[in-house]
Amino acid sequence: MPVDKPSRASRDPWAERIVSIASRQDRSAFAELFNHFAPRVKAFMRRNGASDSQAEEIAQEAMLAVWRKAQLFDPAAAGAATWIFTIARNLRIDAIRRESRGGAIRVEEVEAEYELDETPGADERIAAGQSEARLREALSTLPREQLKVIEMSFFEEKAHSEIAETLRIPLGTVKSRARLAMKRLRALLELDR
Amino acid sequence: MTIEHHPDEATLAAHAAGVLDLGQRVALATHLRGCPRCREWARAMEGLGGEIVDNCSPASMPDDALDRTLARLDEPAPARRLRPVEAADAPRELPDFVRRYAFGGWRFVAPRVKMRPIHLPAPGPTRVFLLKSAPNSRLLQHAHTALEMTCVLRGGFSHEGGHYGPGDFDLGDETVMHEPHVDDGEDCICLVAMQGDLRLKGFWGLIARPFVRL
Repeated sequence: MPVDKPSRASRDPWAERIVSIASRQDRSAFAELFNHFAPRVKAFMRRNGASDSQAEEIAQEAMLAVWRKAQLFDPAAAGAATWIFTIARNLRIDAIRRESRGGAIRVEEVEAEYELDETPGADERIAAGQSEARLREALSTLPREQLKVIEMSFFEEKAHSEIAETLRIPLGTVKSRARLAMKRLRALLELDR
Repeated sequence: MTIEHHPDEATLAAHAAGVLDLGQRVALATHLRGCPRCREWARAMEGLGGEIVDNCSPASMPDDALDRTLARLDEPAPARRLRPVEAADAPRELPDFVRRYAFGGWRFVAPRVKMRPIHLPAPGPTRVFLLKSAPNSRLLQHAHTALEMTCVLRGGFSHEGGHYGPGDFDLGDETVMHEPHVDDGEDCICLVAMQGDLRLKGFWGLIARPFVRL
């Protein structure tokens, strides 16, 4: 069940709009979400190797999914951008599979790969919401060049050597930045790992 | 159950980013199912994905993109259809989506060791199978030609890296030589996601090679 947490939603105006889609099929909230996120999802997909038309299609399908799944959005557990990122990620994985296999696979199979069998308990959802808030703080203190390396290596799937070439820095620097960033994020998130 | 061995942060980040192949994702999901700590990190990495999307400079969408999408809002959403569970006897420690895949039969690998392939719906570079070893057996010393992820489902084993019990995750690659020793008392069942082939070392490796069909 989605739980409306006004304190959190007020920090995340986009989450508020998803909640109003869920509660009253708010088309103008949808249009605002679309205008903000569709061009960003498209840009993100372009950076990750999707063609212009693929990226556009994923952006539109992701926004359509936001409308259809708004009821499942839990503002206490995740921010709007995070939720939309996961929707777009799953669509992208599905699109890549379709390309290599033809239309036999469906996006719900990708969703299932990321669903945990047990619905997370209240504690875990709230912990997730808190760690996301901490993450935002942590990211703002992370040096830009470290963040860039993380982004390129995990979200753009670039090899360390490719990152070194693109950013014109030595390979060792790429590796040490990636390591430092992970260490720092872990510390900032207070994750005891 | 205390989990002592976890995937590294980078692997969890790659999982959250969606860039692992399906076989590796099966291994990660199997670990995450039992590990709240790694779930938290994986969620944080999804949060990072959200931040990255939010901070992208917008690409231009066609002028009619919004209108075309608005026009589709009233279309009925396609029903969510998932395949049924194929192997009723698949271990319950596996995530539901894995239990819905087709499982092969148990096959002989080496004395006291059997494997059972899991047929992924979208074949990729990583093969996934269950590996069952009899109590107290010693697996051949081996290294891998590429990445191998192991999730312990039942029982346990030890090797140079420590003891691995239910929930633990082990990553092997070409730099690691392993000679796992299975715990006394019960069968050890693991889910293995493997790229490349095993390389067996030494005399026993040469002898066993014709039998080993991993």
